[in-house]
Formats: sequence, C-alpha cells, structure tokens
Amino acid sequence: MISRRNLLGLAGAGLAATAIAGCTGGSTGGAAASSGGGQKGSGTIQWWSNHPGSSKEVEQKIIDAWNAENPNLPVQLVDGGANYEELGQKFNAALAGGDLPDVIVASDVTWFNFALNEATAPLDDLWKEAGVDASSYVDTLREDYAYDGKHYGVPFARSTTLMYWNQDILAKAGLAADKGPQSWAEFAEWAPKLVEANGGKPALMVPDGSNYLDWYFQGMIWTFGGSYSKEWTPNFTDPKSIEAGTFLAEQFKAGHIGIAKDANNTFGIGGSAGLLQSTGSLGGLTKAAQFPFITTYLPGPKPGACTGGAGLAIPNGISDERKLNATKFIDFVTNTKNTITFTQATGYMPVRKDAVDDPEEKAYLEKTPNAMTAIKQLAENTAPQDYARVFIPGGGARIGGGLDKITIGGQDVEQVFEQLQSETATVYKRDIEPLL
Amino acid sequence: MAAAGAGPLHAEPPRRKRGWNWREIGLAALLLAPNLALLVVFTYRPLVDNIRLSFYNWNISSPRMRFVGLGNYVEWFTSSDSWTIMANTVIFTVAAVAGSMVLGLALALLLDQKLFGRGAVRSLVFAPYVISGAAIGVAFQFVFDPNFGLIQDLLDKVGVTAPNFYQNSGWALFMVTATYIWKNLGYVFVIYLAALQGRRKDLDEASEIDGTSPTRHFFRVVLPQLRPTTFFLSVTVLLSSFQVFDIIQAMTQGGPLGIGTTTIVFQVYQETFVNSRAGYGATVATIMFTIVLVITLIQVRLQDGNDA
Repeated sequence: MISRRNLLGLAGAGLAATAIAGCTGGSTGGAAASSGGGQKGSGTIQWWSNHPGSSKEVEQKIIDAWNAENPNLPVQLVDGGANYEELGQKFNAALAGGDLPDVIVASDVTWFNFALNEATAPLDDLWKEAGVDASSYVDTLREDYAYDGKHYGVPFARSTTLMYWNQDILAKAGLAADKGPQSWAEFAEWAPKLVEANGGKPALMVPDGSNYLDWYFQGMIWTFGGSYSKEWTPNFTDPKSIEAGTFLAEQFKAGHIGIAKDANNTFGIGGSAGLLQSTGSLGGLTKAAQFPFITTYLPGPKPGACTGGAGLAIPNGISDERKLNATKFIDFVTNTKNTITFTQATGYMPVRKDAVDDPEEKAYLEKTPNAMTAIKQLAENTAPQDYARVFIPGGGARIGGGLDKITIGGQDVEQVFEQLQSETATVYKRDIEPLL
Repeated sequence: MAAAGAGPLHAEPPRRKRGWNWREIGLAALLLAPNLALLVVFTYRPLVDNIRLSFYNWNISSPRMRFVGLGNYVEWFTSSDSWTIMANTVIFTVAAVAGSMVLGLALALLLDQKLFGRGAVRSLVFAPYVISGAAIGVAFQFVFDPNFGLIQDLLDKVGVTAPNFYQNSGWALFMVTATYIWKNLGYVFVIYLAALQGRRKDLDEASEIDGTSPTRHFFRVVLPQLRPTTFFLSVTVLLSSFQVFDIIQAMTQGGPLGIGTTTIVFQVYQETFVNSRAGYGATVATIMFTIVLVITLIQVRLQDGNDA
C-alpha cells in the first residue's frame, strides 16, 4: 500500500523528471511552416541577438535610427543569450512551439543546421522582392551562407582569427615590435625568448575548448597541411593533422602556449606576450589593455586563418509579410553607414564592399591599423571553415573537447584524433547524410 | 413530554448512512480538478511525451523525426562518456548532499544557541539560497580564477600554488560542488534550525539532569528527533543536486576536457540544445528519471523500515 510519504516521494521524483522533460521539448509542430501560412507578428520586428563583440549599445543605436525612419514598423532588440550557442538554443525552443522572432543572429556553426532543417528561410527571392543588392556584400562572406544554390544568411558580425602581440614584451625579448611570426616554426623559435621576457608566462594565450579553441586551431592545422575534414570526409587521422595536434600539445607542455577560459583577460593583464583571438575582441582590448599592442596575421603558409563570426537569418516559420520586413531591416542593419558604425564599435570586419572604400572608414582604418589587419587578412590569408566544425551538429564543441584533452588533459594525440574521426563520421551518417 | 421521559436512558447514536456521499465526492472533485488538470498537462503529459521522444532520432531544429527503437538507449549504455558522466553525477550528488547536510546541521546547531547577532548571521547564511545559481556561478569565477581569484590570492600569501580549477577535471568538479554547497547551505540550515527549535525541551532537560555529555546528548537525544527532517532533506537535496545545471553552465560549460564536469542533467541539455539531438536528450532524461525514481523508492523503503 502506498503511504502518504511514498506518494510524496514519488511525486518529487516525477517532478524532477518533468523538469528535465520540459527541457527536451515535446512537439515538432511549429518547426517549419510553409512560406505562406507562417506565424503572423505583432507589428514589431523582433531581433534576437547575443550582441557579439559587446555590441548591444551599437545595435540599439542602429535600431533607433531604423525606428525613426519607420515609426510604423518598430524593431525590438531581444537578448537571445550570452553567446551564439545560447541564442541557437533559444531559437530551437521557439521552433518547438513558441513565438518565432523575425531576425536572429546565426553563427558560423549554427546557420547550416537551421538551413538544412528548413528552420530558416532562403533569402534570394526575398532580396529580389525587397530590392536588396546582394552583390554589394563582400563575396566570400556572403557565400559562406550558401547551401544548395540558395543563401540562408547575411554577413553581419564577421571576423577572422587574429594574433595580438604585446609590443613591450616583443621589444623586451629582442624581437621586432611591429610584426608577428611568419610560421608556427618561427613561433616555436620566438616562444622561449617571449616566455623569458615575461617572467615565465606563456608566449601565446589561446581560449580553451569551451571557448572556441577548435576555431583558433583550425588555421594551425591547415598550415601543417592537415584539416578537420575534406568536405564531409573527416581528416583528423591524416598524419599532417596529427602533426599539427602534436605541435599544439608540445607547445602547451613546454609552456609556450597557455590555454585559459578567459584568454582576453589573461592577455589584458600581461599574463602572456600574445593572444590568439577573434577580430571581434579588438574593440574591447583597445579599451582595456594598458600597454601598446599590434594585431598580426596568423602564421602561414597561407591560408593560416579562417573566417568566423555570425550573420543574420530569418525564420522560415513566419509569414511572408514578416519575412519581407525582416529582409528590409537586415539590409538596413548592414548598409554602408551602419556597417561602418558597427565595425568601428566592435572591430568586426566590414561586410559591404563599399564600406571599405567609404572616406570615413578609410580615415578610421588609417588611424587604426590594428583594425586593418583583419580586412587585409581576409583577402590574403583566410579560407572557409572545415565542414567537420561548422556543418556537423556539435562539431565545434566536440573538437574543442578533443583539443582540451591533448593539451590540458595530456592525452595521446593519435588516440584523441582517432576518436574525433570516428565520432564525426558517425554523426555525419546519422544526422546529415539522410538530409542531403 | 411524557414520551420523552419514557425513552431508554442509553439510546445508541444514530448510525451514519452507508454508501457514497455524492455531494462530498463532487465537492472534492471540484476542488481537486484544477490542480489535477495542471499536473496532467504540465507534469505527466510532458513526462510521457519525453519517454515517447526517447525512441526517436530528432534534430530539434527539424520538423521531422525518425523512429530508432531502443537505438538511443543502446548508444547511451555503450558509450564510455556515459559512465564518466554518471561518475561525475554520483560524486557531485553525494558530495553535495553530504556536504550541505553536515554543514547545514552544524550551522543550525551553532545558530540555535543564544549568540549575539545571530539574527543577522542567520539571514546571511540563508541569503545565497535566494540568489540565482547563474549569478553565483559568475561571481564564483572570480573566487576560483587562476590569475586573480580570491583562492589563488589567499594561497599565494601562505606560499601554496593554487590549482588551476578550470583545467583539471577533479578540481573543476570540486569547484562546482563547493559552489553548489555554498549556495544551498541556507536551505538545509533553515529547515534544520526550524526542526531544532521544535524539538522536545523536556528531553534536553532530562538529559542535562542525567549529566549526559554534549556529544552523547547530540547523538542520542537531538539527532533521533531530527530523523524525519533528515529524511525530508535527503530527498529534496538529492533531487535538487541531481538537477543542478545553472552553476555548471556558468562556470565550466561541462568542461574541462569536454565532459570534466558534465553531469547527467547537463548532458540532457548538451545533447538536446548544443548537439541538436532532442531524441537522444530525451533518452538521457528518461534514464535520469528512472534513476531518481529508484533512489526515491529506496529512500522511502529505508525510512519506512526505520519507522517500523
């Protein structure tokens, strides 16, 4: 017989499980409505953003300008999370049955999953209808969002990986204070001098696996001739990929490369001579760092860096009218004037071709050579990312965890990379192949 | 009136009518219906739906699902990661339950004494419980930070090198467990304090007259009276420890080394929202539900055994 206490205990267990069940959703009904019968809005464009590069203030400034021009179609900025993943998770929850926003920030890692599963709308027809000149976006950045002949995003907060060097420490180490290493082999030569010049602190600080180490390492693996994948085929077990992994692990073990949760802070307080970070950190570091620093390309041979960051996308499940309004708003956010405003506030790259040639931007770039590095590197030293990181669900987190294992975990590179190879192949077969 | 005087001196009370009292049943149903409806809609329907989803491969961004039978369960039980995550969960839960109950009881015993300023101290001890776990997680990053954290600073002063809490799985798990205990100590403390204040004072007096030592008094007189409270706390603290998410998300995101501080509930989140595998996430949630259910049944049995 069940006593009252038994019942209370069971109810407690039931509630515990329900809390979890609530997390996992339970309906697929609202995922991808047909283009004609989607959710109608409230007359306000909802923009979900995680404010990349601490851009909340400048985003609101752009919105205010839009609202002044379009008082009958105001935009509301909604906090979508602390990072791209959280925003993606919030959008997924909305797809499973909630109210959909009009515009979302979709990262290099999340946009493809949304496009592949028809959660976001193809933009080509909307561009025509709204009179948007898509060719005015920087070609390589625009084409990052192409899948199956259609575009599912517009470049917005776009970045590349960059190196930041504390010039005081470079000079103290007897190195030229106006350039970075040209190759990783050269970095390995510089590192002991930089470590010594900075009281034993690492020569280069890199964020850990939970903070996109997988993104930063991508350029390094390319320079060794390896890659995460060749299109859909995993390539972790290629000897050149393993060589790159071994180099990273050895440099970490030697104390030349440091790995930290908050690498920016460590660099900002002089905890390392160099930093491997995103272009989007430039604005924050310029304000915070108490020492002179330069930005440089990632070591070659080319390509030594990858593009990244985020674009803007439109949910597929909203009405045609909302999609058209959202397209116009996205065009406004990324127009020449706002691109200049946004890039100068954050350090992200200009996404419109004419923004780079604008006199105001030219003057800014001349005055701020550190911001120019990313723009030049985009043309000279970057390549699109490997499918295994950006198109395979959970790819970034999986690779980041693996890189943590070979560095701070001290695990065997070959074993870890073999595991990554097998897991990536499994996920591709299970989640991607049936949809292609 | 004469008839009244002629009646029996000890008349039997009127018997209650046997059978259903439909008015009372109707009233009970009316009063219970709203809560039952809420329970069904928001508690049990999602539970059943979750179990159903666990048999599907479903990308949460997709409108389509594919039935995979027990495939997700086979994957979980054959994955080496699952056992690491289970071990993390057990270590975290046992440490969190034991730590918060021992410390909570100790604080309750201390602040049950007549001490100067005990009201203010009681409030201070309870305060962290009402602060959100995410906020505490962010704040404690500054305590454990390897460059400028409070612990690093304190250990530096005594010439000890602080461990890197973010790069060693064991220390990272210690860090999130300690933070969780600190946050939840106030809950255990306040419940134990209420129980201590409601205990029988005559037993304390009798024990004092008998000259019982303080240790013996605690174990033989105080602790037995706290048994129902201890049982209640062990169930509730265990359930809440099992479900901890916010502190882990804020402090380590389940890392280092990928799954260094990933507990089973964090795996539900990770699989569902990061890896977009809602079906597999539902499987992990169902496994977790089963574990919690079994533990609760064992606790209830043990308690019943003690009562008998």
